[in-house]
Amino acid sequence: MNAPAELRWAAKYPELGTGPIPVEPCVSPEFFEEERQKVFMKTWLKVGRIEEIANPGDYKVKKLAFAKTSIILIRGKDGQVRGYHNVCSHRGNKVIVESGEETFGRNKAAVVTCRFHGWVYNAEGALVQVPEEDKFHACFEREKNALTAVHTDVWEGFIFVNLDPAPSVTPLKDYLDGIGSHLAGFPYGEISQCFSYHTYLDCNWKVAHDAFAEAYHVATIHAGSFPNVFSSGLQNVELFGPHRTTAICLSLKNDPTPVAKIANALATGSLVARRGASMLPPTVNPERREDFSFELSVLFPNLLLHISEGIWFTHQFWPISHNRTLWEGKYYVRPPKTNSQRWALEHAQCLQRNAWLEDTATMEDTQTALESGAKQWMHLQDDEVLIRHGYHALEAYMEKK
Amino acid sequence: MNNLSLPKSFEVLEPLVASWSLPTQNARQQKRINASKGELRAFYEAMLPRLEDVLAYVDKYPLGELPPEAERLFCLALSLAEVAPHVELYGGDPKVPHSFDETRFVADHGALAV
Repeated sequence: MNAPAELRWAAKYPELGTGPIPVEPCVSPEFFEEERQKVFMKTWLKVGRIEEIANPGDYKVKKLAFAKTSIILIRGKDGQVRGYHNVCSHRGNKVIVESGEETFGRNKAAVVTCRFHGWVYNAEGALVQVPEEDKFHACFEREKNALTAVHTDVWEGFIFVNLDPAPSVTPLKDYLDGIGSHLAGFPYGEISQCFSYHTYLDCNWKVAHDAFAEAYHVATIHAGSFPNVFSSGLQNVELFGPHRTTAICLSLKNDPTPVAKIANALATGSLVARRGASMLPPTVNPERREDFSFELSVLFPNLLLHISEGIWFTHQFWPISHNRTLWEGKYYVRPPKTNSQRWALEHAQCLQRNAWLEDTATMEDTQTALESGAKQWMHLQDDEVLIRHGYHALEAYMEKK
Repeated sequence: MNNLSLPKSFEVLEPLVASWSLPTQNARQQKRINASKGELRAFYEAMLPRLEDVLAYVDKYPLGELPPEAERLFCLALSLAEVAPHVELYGGDPKVPHSFDETRFVADHGALAV
């Protein structure tokens, strides 16, 4: 038996238990199907930022493979962002022709027109024009053939949808609750320069998600990009319903490399540097620890949101099947004002990309190994408490009738 | 002046222009992936002593408004941003060691021109 050291998170959150975690949720197609219905079809999911559709008539179409749909997010003339299934009320064609995972467009009149027969819908979803309308039969009523609306709401500039077809769902603000207040007030919109990557991973969404939700891996996985940079231990872990958060701190035992040192002096782009804490919400790093690097927060089920001085970034994990996931990584910095800052941000971005290449390296191997059936359980250490809480939150949704 | 020339006092870097003064991040990344360990090291060692001078020089111009010679110089510095972690952190390896297949990462922000 192991003789554990001080287990602070187990002491703080005894309700999470200390036992091993089953492998089955990561490898079972049946579990996946139930998870899809009980979790992903019932919770608020981040699908964009308001800056992506800044003006009336701007729209974004986001594919959601797990729901076999795509969602049109359109800003109306009233400034409101609304969401609809990208499905024409006529014969079911996609109203907006898509290119890839995300499609962007703009219509000055704030309407969208189906290419098939020219049916026109406004930003409120109403069907406003049908060519040759007088040839439709008496049972056809234009008023009853709006686009199918999806619950859509905005928190701190993040656009969320909830695909539950029920007429009303828990409001986004109530769903986010404590984590929403904890992360509110950060200048997300000002730190607007986005570097964005995606890839398809042959692994369960939780295998990818969990790999980013602890700092225990940093010493091994990031021995290349972040040598002796971060502490493996977590600070200020807080749980908010199904959501959770922690501070990740720096150890900075190594001096910066020559090029990194020049870059860090020019612009705030890299996590590997001591920075102040002036813009953080008051509950994030409340003691204003000098070694604070970033806040790692999980917005259940599939969004990791990290905030830091002058930087924020997200990882999102979109389930496709029990062993396939779309990963999206987005890294935001303040737009440069000078050419040298532009250079410094490129340096920071390349390093961050490389770190993400290190992170994603293990995921498909983990899935393959888990699918061998050789192991039924995974052991978690105390500083992997966010993962432990994740399985508890998931279980609570899976047990809902 | 030709299409390989650099601003005055940076002439010593001109032999690097043809290979390393590349206009997009994608091109710089590809160049780094396909370079040898020795090429990365030689480029890094040639650039590092002049890096601060290069950055001070490009800041004489507003962001994104570099004349052709200054832009060529800036692209060399951007290649150094790409190459530096490989020399400083990855033991000279042109790839990120123990990493995911780099070609499978799709950059949604595009090619990132200067």
